Amino acid sequence: MKIELKALSHTYDVEVLRDLSITLSDYKAVAIIGMSGSGKSTLLRILSGLERPTVGTVHVNGHDVTNPEYRKQVGFVFQHHALFPHLSLLRNITLILEKTRGYSPDQARARAMELLDLLHLADQVHKLPKHVSGGQAQRGSIARALSLDPEVVFLDEPTSALDPILTHDVLSAITELRDIGKGFVLVSHVMNFVRSFADYVIYMHQGKMAEHGVPTILDDPRSSELQDFMSKVPDCTFR
Amino acid sequence: MKPTLRPGPEVATKRRELGGAYLWHILAIATFALFAWFVVMRQRQPFDLSTIEPYRDAIAAGFGRTLWVSLVSLVASTTLGFVFYLLSTSRVGYFRAFTAVFTEIIYGTPLLVMIMIMAFVIGPAFGSTNRSLMGFIGLIVYITPYMTNIFRSAIASISSEQYMAMDLFGFTPYQRYRYIIVPQVVRILMPPLMNNFSLIIKGSALLNVLSYRELFYEVSLMTNNTFRFVEGFLLMWGLYLLITIPLSQLTKWIDWRWGL
Repeated sequence: MKIELKALSHTYDVEVLRDLSITLSDYKAVAIIGMSGSGKSTLLRILSGLERPTVGTVHVNGHDVTNPEYRKQVGFVFQHHALFPHLSLLRNITLILEKTRGYSPDQARARAMELLDLLHLADQVHKLPKHVSGGQAQRGSIARALSLDPEVVFLDEPTSALDPILTHDVLSAITELRDIGKGFVLVSHVMNFVRSFADYVIYMHQGKMAEHGVPTILDDPRSSELQDFMSKVPDCTFR
Repeated sequence: MKPTLRPGPEVATKRRELGGAYLWHILAIATFALFAWFVVMRQRQPFDLSTIEPYRDAIAAGFGRTLWVSLVSLVASTTLGFVFYLLSTSRVGYFRAFTAVFTEIIYGTPLLVMIMIMAFVIGPAFGSTNRSLMGFIGLIVYITPYMTNIFRSAIASISSEQYMAMDLFGFTPYQRYRYIIVPQVVRILMPPLMNNFSLIIKGSALLNVLSYRELFYEVSLMTNNTFRFVEGFLLMWGLYLLITIPLSQLTKWIDWRWGL
């Protein structure tokens, strides 16, 4: 996966991202960490094409993220699963494949079953999102993101709405996906998971990349901001 | 939301609770039935439904008119409520203000006052002396902001993440409404819509003050002639409950079966 930011700034009412430039090549999983309001979710949304940057250019795998066609090549997993609540897990996937990707119902079903099985949901496919656990719903939304065969999967704090046991459940499932040949960009607060899953870490502080590098920077932070952050963030139960 | 890991035992507990609830409900209904029997027995005249037999057709017709008026009001106020919802989300500031002020006025007005104003003030100003019709319109106008409100809350209950997801997957605007928005809104809308229907049925009783021959009017007419108040009013009460209670049970069932 290749990520290129050139002089990226983004403004809502205040400036949330300030003049970011970086080129990353050949990393499989990039983690963005930082406190609330540091701009990490905004950065993730811009990288995924959900939002247009105010200033600067962003390329992911050579695609300009502002190109509307780019959106069709990304998978996105939201904080709260964002499954459509009136549709079963299976239908949540087949509807999208049939209506927006031109699959036949049989093809869509086969594809959806394959991915739900990959996420260990084969016995839950006909249930509505409200009838499965939060962890299962989140895994369902990961299956949905993967079903579109994206080049890169973006995960925006996929476990922040879950308790520790369900967090473990979802993060284990994500860990299993590491070698399926997709790029991953994720925002997470679970540092053990970031350490074991990511091969590059970006620490955001007040709209800047205060420190970035391979995950060992978490254990030996150089900047005072990251030292401070690491001393505050609790070590979660994920192993 | 509390996630359920193993639904098995909890479902079983639910069922036991439900069994218990049925028993308590039967006891509660029996309490009210007993109270009704006590009240009837305390009357000077013996309770005799056959005394109102000659008025059966008139009362049935009144009952029919109550249902008819309520159904038409439901359809009209739902439609009007949707139009007002659209106006309340308009880009034009005046429309938003108009619906906000309208809602405040209606929320602050008793239904009976609304009906009187319509029939005796607004109607004549527009050359209408058909008081029943104007009262009927008053009922529709009165329910409209309540309908607007349920549209607003139903549509707001679709999370922003769902809209982002629709964006991301590349749904066309038609597909968004057809497959995602409308199916959810309809489910969320049904229970409060049924509640409002109940509100309309009860409110329609007030149309009797304009001599509209609905259920309340017909029963009052009968009691004035026969002095059979107990039989008449109890029958009327029963007839209202005959529509409103199944309606509210249906609402609960719809919510249980289709709710999100």
